Amino acid sequence: MTASRDRSTISLHKLGVFCGLAAAVWLGTAEAPTKLVNAGFSPFLISMGMVMGTFVARWTVPTLLKGTGFLFADLRDKPHLIVWALLAGMLWAVANTLTIFAVRNVGLAIAFPLWNTNSLVGLFWGWLLFKELRGSGVKGWSKVLGGASAIVGGAAVLAYATARQSDTPGKAAVGIIAALGAGVLFGTMYIPYRKAYISGMNPLSFVTLFTFGELGAVLTLGAIYMGGFSHVAAELHRARPMLFWPFLGGFCWVIGDLFQNFAAKYIGIGRGIPLSNTNQLWGLAWGALVFAEFSGLSPSGKALILAGSLVMIAGAVSISMADPGASELVNWKQARERECERYGLDAEKVGAVVAGDDPLAEHPPVRRWWEAVVMFVAVGIFVWLGIGTRSQHLAISMPWMIVLVIGTILPLGLCGTLLWRRTRFS
Amino acid sequence: MKRSRLVSILTDAHLWVPVGVLILGIILLMSLR
Repeated sequence: MTASRDRSTISLHKLGVFCGLAAAVWLGTAEAPTKLVNAGFSPFLISMGMVMGTFVARWTVPTLLKGTGFLFADLRDKPHLIVWALLAGMLWAVANTLTIFAVRNVGLAIAFPLWNTNSLVGLFWGWLLFKELRGSGVKGWSKVLGGASAIVGGAAVLAYATARQSDTPGKAAVGIIAALGAGVLFGTMYIPYRKAYISGMNPLSFVTLFTFGELGAVLTLGAIYMGGFSHVAAELHRARPMLFWPFLGGFCWVIGDLFQNFAAKYIGIGRGIPLSNTNQLWGLAWGALVFAEFSGLSPSGKALILAGSLVMIAGAVSISMADPGASELVNWKQARERECERYGLDAEKVGAVVAGDDPLAEHPPVRRWWEAVVMFVAVGIFVWLGIGTRSQHLAISMPWMIVLVIGTILPLGLCGTLLWRRTRFS
Repeated sequence: MKRSRLVSILTDAHLWVPVGVLILGIILLMSLR
């Protein structure tokens, strides 16, 4: 099956790398709105607000791009993957809650690099369960493993440098275990991602289901920790004036997550996840340039930030240059065939979808009336939350904010166009 | 869902690895309360 004549011919590896980097930009930017939340709210509540924002956006963006008819057809075609999508959402919710404990007990400096090891966990599962990197040779292995390790190392340096100013007290062992646990859970979450994509599922359908597992688990955990659903509702009501900010962060998160899913589809989790984990750089850029968080940092601290950033960029460049060779692609194909045989999927069709040529994608989506309702409700929720919202009084550098907003929108436009021209978002 | 598909899901290692990790994660979370 071949792409139609007006399709772009960019390689899937390059497309996946662009998606991984765009994911990093948007996942990093997602942290910015939460900085405007007034003090006095628990991190757990802010996290819950973000998840609710992602729930709204995860329904609307796929509906806008592909239409509900496509999403339901995709789900009907591979109903077994519903289990994995829900499972991935639950893994994310538990992991994210663990990160809150980790930051509380050992601070960001230790916690962040520990849970950033999720890329190495994902790389291991990709190798073990989906034959990623098999047959890639020493050169391929060193580029990917070296790159992923550099990104984790860079994260460690950055986190150390940026959190030296704060002094977070005790309970170190618990915090370290929580951070490592979060890394294992986040890394394991990529098993369902990869399974879905080598089965020919569209990332837009996957994230739509994922969000049910995520929201259900977060609300359940919230109810357990806050003493029942009535307390959760009361806390959310109290937080109403600030909920717009985590919702906005959740919206940015969804865009980043979609790009991360497309990266996992086109270059695998071993390569895609470390690239999107460079999001720390963008979070840092917002903190340093827009919110002037590190103005009091010593020259040695600034040097550490520069060194950590360069190590991280070097890791990303190394992975970007690690195209899978022919022998590795044979192994990818075997992993795909396993899914087709096990679940009775049409191997030819799945092969075409994995190669970015979904036959369904050529047909314009049939629009339904309820899609307009979904859009209207989603926009209405954001407008309602935006009216009367309050924010922390922070000094913001407007010129830098404009630069970073442009720097965030550009990859969206570029990558969105590339995905459309090469794959029609398939 | 067809019985054969259910069996395929339940005997898939790709299911039990994440389920096992999720259970361990929940146990860890509960022990941190």
